[in-house]
Amino acid sequence: MTIFEGMASGFFQSTSLAVFPYLFAGSIFGLIIGVIPGLSGHFAMAMAVTFLYTMEPAAGIAFILAAHATVAQGGGLTAILFSTPGTGQNAATLLDGPPMRDKGEAGIAVGAAMASCFLGATFGAIVLALLIPVLREVVLFFGPPEVFVLAFLALTFVAVLGKEDMTRSLIAALLGMLLAMVGVDNVTNTFRFTMGSERLADGLQLVPVILGLFAVAEMIDLWVRGGTLAKDVPTALSAKETQKQIFKGIGLAFKNWWLVMRCSAIGTGMGLIPGLGSAPASFVAYGHAKQSSPDRDTFGKGNVKGVIGPEAANDAVEGGALASTLAFGIPGSSSMAILLSGLFILGLETGPRMLNQNVDIVFVMIFTIIFGNLIGTIIGMFLVNPLSRATSIRASVMVPVLMSVIATGAFAGERAIFDIGIAIVFGILGYAMKVLNYSRAALLIGFVLGFAVEKNLYLALLLDGPLFVMQPIPLGLMTVTIIFLGWNIYTIFRDRRRVIPK
Amino acid sequence: MRRTFLKSATAAVVAITTLGFGTTVAAQDAAEFYKDNVIKWIVPYDPGGGYDEYSRIIIPYFERYTGARVDIVNLPGSGGMKGAVEIFNSPADGLTVGIINGSAMVTNQLAEIEGATYKVGDYNYLGRIVADKRVMVASESSGITSFEDLMNNGTTEIMGATGLGGSTYVDAVITGEVLAIDQRVVHGFDRSGDIRTAMLRGDVQTMWGSLGSALSGIEDGDLKIILHGEKVATGMLEGIPSIYDIAMTMDDGEKRVKILESWEALSAVGRPVAAPPGIPEDRLAFLREAFAQAMNDPEFVASSLESDRELSFATGEDMSRIAKSATELEPDVTELFVKAIRGEI
Repeated sequence: MTIFEGMASGFFQSTSLAVFPYLFAGSIFGLIIGVIPGLSGHFAMAMAVTFLYTMEPAAGIAFILAAHATVAQGGGLTAILFSTPGTGQNAATLLDGPPMRDKGEAGIAVGAAMASCFLGATFGAIVLALLIPVLREVVLFFGPPEVFVLAFLALTFVAVLGKEDMTRSLIAALLGMLLAMVGVDNVTNTFRFTMGSERLADGLQLVPVILGLFAVAEMIDLWVRGGTLAKDVPTALSAKETQKQIFKGIGLAFKNWWLVMRCSAIGTGMGLIPGLGSAPASFVAYGHAKQSSPDRDTFGKGNVKGVIGPEAANDAVEGGALASTLAFGIPGSSSMAILLSGLFILGLETGPRMLNQNVDIVFVMIFTIIFGNLIGTIIGMFLVNPLSRATSIRASVMVPVLMSVIATGAFAGERAIFDIGIAIVFGILGYAMKVLNYSRAALLIGFVLGFAVEKNLYLALLLDGPLFVMQPIPLGLMTVTIIFLGWNIYTIFRDRRRVIPK
Repeated sequence: MRRTFLKSATAAVVAITTLGFGTTVAAQDAAEFYKDNVIKWIVPYDPGGGYDEYSRIIIPYFERYTGARVDIVNLPGSGGMKGAVEIFNSPADGLTVGIINGSAMVTNQLAEIEGATYKVGDYNYLGRIVADKRVMVASESSGITSFEDLMNNGTTEIMGATGLGGSTYVDAVITGEVLAIDQRVVHGFDRSGDIRTAMLRGDVQTMWGSLGSALSGIEDGDLKIILHGEKVATGMLEGIPSIYDIAMTMDDGEKRVKILESWEALSAVGRPVAAPPGIPEDRLAFLREAFAQAMNDPEFVASSLESDRELSFATGEDMSRIAKSATELEPDVTELFVKAIRGEI
């Protein structure tokens, strides 16, 4: 089967009556899971997999992939409207999404987010299609030395995020890395920072930490100051106004198409690398969007580009992650692992065989991602109105309701009450950080990348010795990192010197 | 006096009838107990993994033969230990069972890992679903085509492994020690999939794993089996040396074989289904019977083969024996294993 035959077959299969309803159902399922804070793509896949035992291959794939694809869209919605990231991928949207809502531009933010999601996902899916002939070679590029340097580079974006106070951001990022080390070390089987608690032996789970740092902290803030979620807009926007804003937001995403493409490229590229996960991609994209924008000082205060960048990236990650999973049958993340078993249950093999014989199934996947996101965008638009009204309900009602939703989300991941405690502890920490002006995003990046950095450093040293940095790709990336850091430090000092004479 | 006689006679008659019908009544009780009741089936890993899959394939048949409804509960954590402990501590009423990573639980117990509060020998086993055949594979890019090559090529091969104490690690270290293989074990990979990628990149040359998981790599031409752990080579393994073949060619062959047999006992534990200690005899017997019937149901066997899931059924009684022998090893062998698990070799 040639690629074109596969493409045509895949297209017709995914739009057929036997498959499309599952695609549709999967998209809606994923969107809902995404909107509920704490339930992530991993959870959606886990739930979806149990249905696969009775489905036909194409239908099953459409269902499970569509669900995974739209989770980030739903997550973006709640991140903007309720300052609560639906998933880890949406954490970067918290930086500019809620400020836009506070300014009364919630509709614009949501419209831009959904459209960027769709564009990013399409980009990722197309790249996946184009890479099919060379998938294996491309993914093999990245071994422990390369991943280590890349993770380190992503960490330095922290400097950009916290430009106003780089020291505090660095402290936060390093604290995040420290927290990533809680638990049993995979390499030496030593218990680190577990303080005798068996629960902590598994390490801190990402979901309760994110929920605590961002969602619970916001709840504490809201409770303390009273008022409504949308700070400066006490009365709700009318439905018509919101609808107009949404269309404006969608328009803005298309207008900034070059930014969308660059951020999607970042997302897909980072998705190809196994083990990094999707949260770092959205932060790196945010950093890039800020860095490359003339009005970078408005970032953090409600600049729509700060929403477009991360949302485009976190959906583009999908295509990249799928590429490396399909090329080898080796999953790059836990949700991909579940997808892989889903494929297995459906009787499909991955690896070169799939790319040679079942290319039409690969295209079913590609079209599922595209259509799934499109459906998610359209349905999501209808969800926005009722949800955005909630941002004008006063704190004394919102906080208890949202806290119970958050607590459920924290519990759902590992069915552990302990995780709710973690969320609360991090909520207090997050609130303190907010008050003291430490970047929570930096802590999150440090936390998420901590694993990748440590594990890959260890493997790189074991496999190639301390000179692993001298290999071509790591050397190139290190040079980029040093230049990037150097430039940023220089501009900070330069700007400071400029301000003082006044 | 007549009254006393009558009383004792009645008592005797009642006693005899009860004893006589006792066993059948108990069996009847068990079936009735389970009919339309709910059994909790604990899976110590996330949905979608191998343990979860095996569970979901067999449960419909298990439901058929017990008459009960079975609810799967996924309890991931601590590499499968969280679920195993949960099963061990569940109420002993016969309504909770679960599948466990037998070999990993044995090694955890032997090395007295923190949190291993169960005793593998004390579970009430319903039976075993499968015990994976262990094989050593070499990557295509390493140029090694046989075990002889490996031993004679004068280079120190890099063997990949996941975490300390994990099956890939224990396999690598024990066989490496016993067969005096010139290798360097690099552990710390997150999952065996990562080791496979490293093999493709050329960072790692060999690894141990289950035959089932190596199949796709072999078909793709990326891997070659060079050694296996079976006493008798069947199917794909014919013509490939086993660890026993190699051990017997070395001096102290008998002693080496003994250690390898203990290692095999470890792998033989495989993936059993177990209930907590202390459940009523009749209910255990009923569950064992139902499990055996489910495992031997021709429909089940056929559908399992279709999904490429191998089976190696062992009864509950056999399982108890296997589990005990895996944990009651001779002191010097135990010491070797513990050192291996702790990474001290």
